[in-house]
Amino acid sequence: MADARPLAVAVPGASLPVPLRVATHLLVATGLVALHLADLVGPVALAGTLGLVAAAWWTTDAAARLGARRAVGGTLVVIAGAVALVDLLWLAGTALDGFVHLLVLLILARLCALRAPRDVRVVSYLSFFMLVAASASALGVAFLFVVVAFVLLGTWVLLFQQVVTEVERGRHRAVVGSESPMAQSRGLMALGLAAALASLVAAAALFFVIPRVGQAALPLRMRVAPLVTGFTDRVELGAYGQVEADATVIMRVHIASTTGDPRFIPDLRWRGIVLDHFDGQAWTVGPGRRVALRQSAPGEFRLGAARGTGAVIVQEVYLEPLGTDVLFAAPRVLRLDLHTDRIAVDDMDSLSVVASAARLHYTVVSEVGGARRETPAGGDRLNPADRVRFLQLPGRPGRIRDLAQEVTAGSRGPRDAALRLSDHLSREYQYTLNLGRSTTEDPLEEFLFVRRAGNCEYFAAALAVMLRSLGIPARVVGGFQRGDWNEYGRYFMVRLRDAHAWVEAHVEGAGWITLDPTPRALADAGRSPLSHYLDALRLRWYRYVINWSLRDQIETALTIRQHAVAWKPWMAGAGPWSVPRPSLVLLGAVAAGAVLTAATWWGRRWLPAANRPERVPRFYARALAALARRGLRPAPAETAREFCHRVRRDAPGAGAALGRITAVYERCRFAGRPPAPAETAELDACLRILIRP
Amino acid sequence: MFRPRRTIRPTRDGWWMLFAAVGLGVAAINTGNNLLYLLCSMLLALVLVSGILSEQTMRGLQLEGLRPEEMFAGRPAVVGASVVNAKRWLTSYSVVLEMLDPGPPSSFHVPTLAAGARRLVTWEHVPPSRGRHRLSGVRVVTRFPFGLFSKVSRVQLDDEVLVFPAVRPIGPHPLGRAGEAEGATARRRGRSHEMHSLREYRQGDDERLIHWRSTARAQALTVREMEAETTRDVCIRLVGSGGADPEKLERGLSDAASLAVHFLRAGAAVELAGPGVCVPGGRGREHERRVLTALALYRSGGAEDRPRPPGPSREVRVEIG
Repeated sequence: MADARPLAVAVPGASLPVPLRVATHLLVATGLVALHLADLVGPVALAGTLGLVAAAWWTTDAAARLGARRAVGGTLVVIAGAVALVDLLWLAGTALDGFVHLLVLLILARLCALRAPRDVRVVSYLSFFMLVAASASALGVAFLFVVVAFVLLGTWVLLFQQVVTEVERGRHRAVVGSESPMAQSRGLMALGLAAALASLVAAAALFFVIPRVGQAALPLRMRVAPLVTGFTDRVELGAYGQVEADATVIMRVHIASTTGDPRFIPDLRWRGIVLDHFDGQAWTVGPGRRVALRQSAPGEFRLGAARGTGAVIVQEVYLEPLGTDVLFAAPRVLRLDLHTDRIAVDDMDSLSVVASAARLHYTVVSEVGGARRETPAGGDRLNPADRVRFLQLPGRPGRIRDLAQEVTAGSRGPRDAALRLSDHLSREYQYTLNLGRSTTEDPLEEFLFVRRAGNCEYFAAALAVMLRSLGIPARVVGGFQRGDWNEYGRYFMVRLRDAHAWVEAHVEGAGWITLDPTPRALADAGRSPLSHYLDALRLRWYRYVINWSLRDQIETALTIRQHAVAWKPWMAGAGPWSVPRPSLVLLGAVAAGAVLTAATWWGRRWLPAANRPERVPRFYARALAALARRGLRPAPAETAREFCHRVRRDAPGAGAALGRITAVYERCRFAGRPPAPAETAELDACLRILIRP
Repeated sequence: MFRPRRTIRPTRDGWWMLFAAVGLGVAAINTGNNLLYLLCSMLLALVLVSGILSEQTMRGLQLEGLRPEEMFAGRPAVVGASVVNAKRWLTSYSVVLEMLDPGPPSSFHVPTLAAGARRLVTWEHVPPSRGRHRLSGVRVVTRFPFGLFSKVSRVQLDDEVLVFPAVRPIGPHPLGRAGEAEGATARRRGRSHEMHSLREYRQGDDERLIHWRSTARAQALTVREMEAETTRDVCIRLVGSGGADPEKLERGLSDAASLAVHFLRAGAAVELAGPGVCVPGGRGREHERRVLTALALYRSGGAEDRPRPPGPSREVRVEIG
């Protein structure tokens, strides 16, 4: 082709459409929200930056004028680069913070000069990197909404910027047809929406399928905001006070397997740290035995065997970062599944892991006992050293022992005495979070003899000291009450205010029994259906996104395989509702045929007339096929009549027959009148002439 | 139905996206952060959706070539292609027809092509020389929907065409050159100044011969047929081997083609003879095509033609070197 140039006339391209600019600004706002969720941008900075994003709408022209002066533009770039460098080296807290500041700076700069499709593209890519930066620590469910919004907006923006780019390119080449895609915005909008939804579905599918081959044992390390006190190895009296009014959900426990309704499991609580030493002010963990336990199978730790004293339940625990290494579970733990190399177990059955700042997900199998009963930890009898350890008291108990003896006078043994003391405290004393001191007395004596009100720590400490003063070994346990039941996710929502302390007392013949002297009703606030629904969503987010692991993938694959195996006999015709196989195939074929016919009929019926495919009548198609066998084919631009004239000239024998067929075809094609029954025989005769010359 | 094979190549943005997806994947494996897996999946999903939508755009697009009946060397000819969206429902967006021309790149942008719609694109093509030529072809390209990948169809419409030698106007008295005595005008269609009859317009007719009054009356283009100027048929004889000077060969073949067209359209019977070529005498459009085809495909070095006894036709000798 020596000289080829388009004859069509080029049309001017379109400018950046307003919807595209709006979507681009929203995309940037979405990225900024993601940074805020990751605590990389504070609330004030977020508000300010969003304001700048909005203001950038009106700065495009000014930026274009400034940009036209190369000196001004270059100076601005140098200043911005210097500020970013200073920020990265000295001002920013971490390198990630510095890069985020630089990223925001770049986006704002580009947003101010948003004039061409290329700018839109660059801003979109930079916004995506805001999501990448946020993904390091934005683990809340709100990130899900941000991702969904980003996919919807991003898909739409990319699609429209591509259309605008092509229109811009069209300024330099021939454009065929006057319809710009932007003029068909409804169709394109629908297509963009469909593309966004398809992207979401595909992203979800890929997310669950991509193998998790990472080896991070505790993958969810995050920067934790203020950690919660109360679950360290030293607990001051009243330390829970600051958290017992906090409704933050700190733990979610899904009872995966039990014989009955989890809501009716009696005395269900989540045992954590166990404290055995009291110095008059605080409870601490004494120098007991603490051993590291290695996994018996990948991710599995065996801690005991079932004794048949209670129901065995399987708990799936999602623990928010608490600032403690303690693992919480219903006592007595038989098995623990956790992705870590080793855990620590002390001689009071307290479990802990190494990473204290990680959000944890673990599964525990426990054997829960009856009311106020625990199975022995180390046999029915304590050795002398442990007995001394669990009877330790600071100084002489004095008034407290007198009170204990008074309450337990006439009791039938240590167990009865322990129960009497617990009942006495829960009956005669009141629960309060107002823990202000009014005397200079010992805190416990002030609680027992002056204030007569306190929180769970005071009750537990008082009972433990009273028991010890009577020679009954006792220890204080820190953990959580079972929490609110979430009916949407069917799990227990444990809040910070559910933090609790109780007592375990050792009774010969019964082992360690649980005593809870605190007269505290279960918290009932925050039970609105909406909050429960959102929390269930949050749990699913943690369960199926944040904590989705290779193990989950394998289990899902095995489940699918089991279902497939279960269906196989049915498909083979051996099931209880077996259908003979040939019948099944026939039934399927008939159904498929019916669906196909209906779809075809429906499609033709609703197809616009202009778009309906042109159908060549069968008789004319046969005539063309017969002539094609003789080497006579219509040229691309040749009409039926012209072709007929050519056939008359080149193959005179077929000319008359084709002439008659062409006449009927033209009437059929252009006048919409099919051949009459009388003409059919005539057409057949003509066709015979063409087929057998 | 014609289903061209398609190839797909990432654009510059596409390469960046793939690079980012791989980087995120590595980071996700390294950190075990599922949110990085999520973002990596998002990018891969965009790639997937991009492939599906671009395939949807390309699917059902059919190209039909449009070529002139005759192409002459050095004379611009209008060729074209008709692109049809044969899909039932879906519109094709941002389709580009690229002409694979060795010269400067040229392309047509079809912003939208609704289901069942058709767009015709045309361009000029000037064949450089006579003979068989293969057209450069056209391919359909789209970067829809996200500009990440460029999907390209197989080259189409790269058919072989036959280009006739260049035909130039002949002087006012060509018969003098042929040694024909002027005078008596035969009652045949020809190129004299006397009108012979009226007939329907045919492609290739001189627009100056359109009879506008009859055209208006019949609502169809009607041309005048003039009486022939000649009474004797012509034999155009190529003289020489044609191998010595290619330029002279081409010039001679062009002269022969011009004479043949002139005499044939004047109503005379024309015979072509020469080394390696022999087209018996004949008249009409089909015969004109036969003569032009023989000249288009003429190769020097053919067997020497045998002198024939003088017949009723006059002989016109054309030197081809």
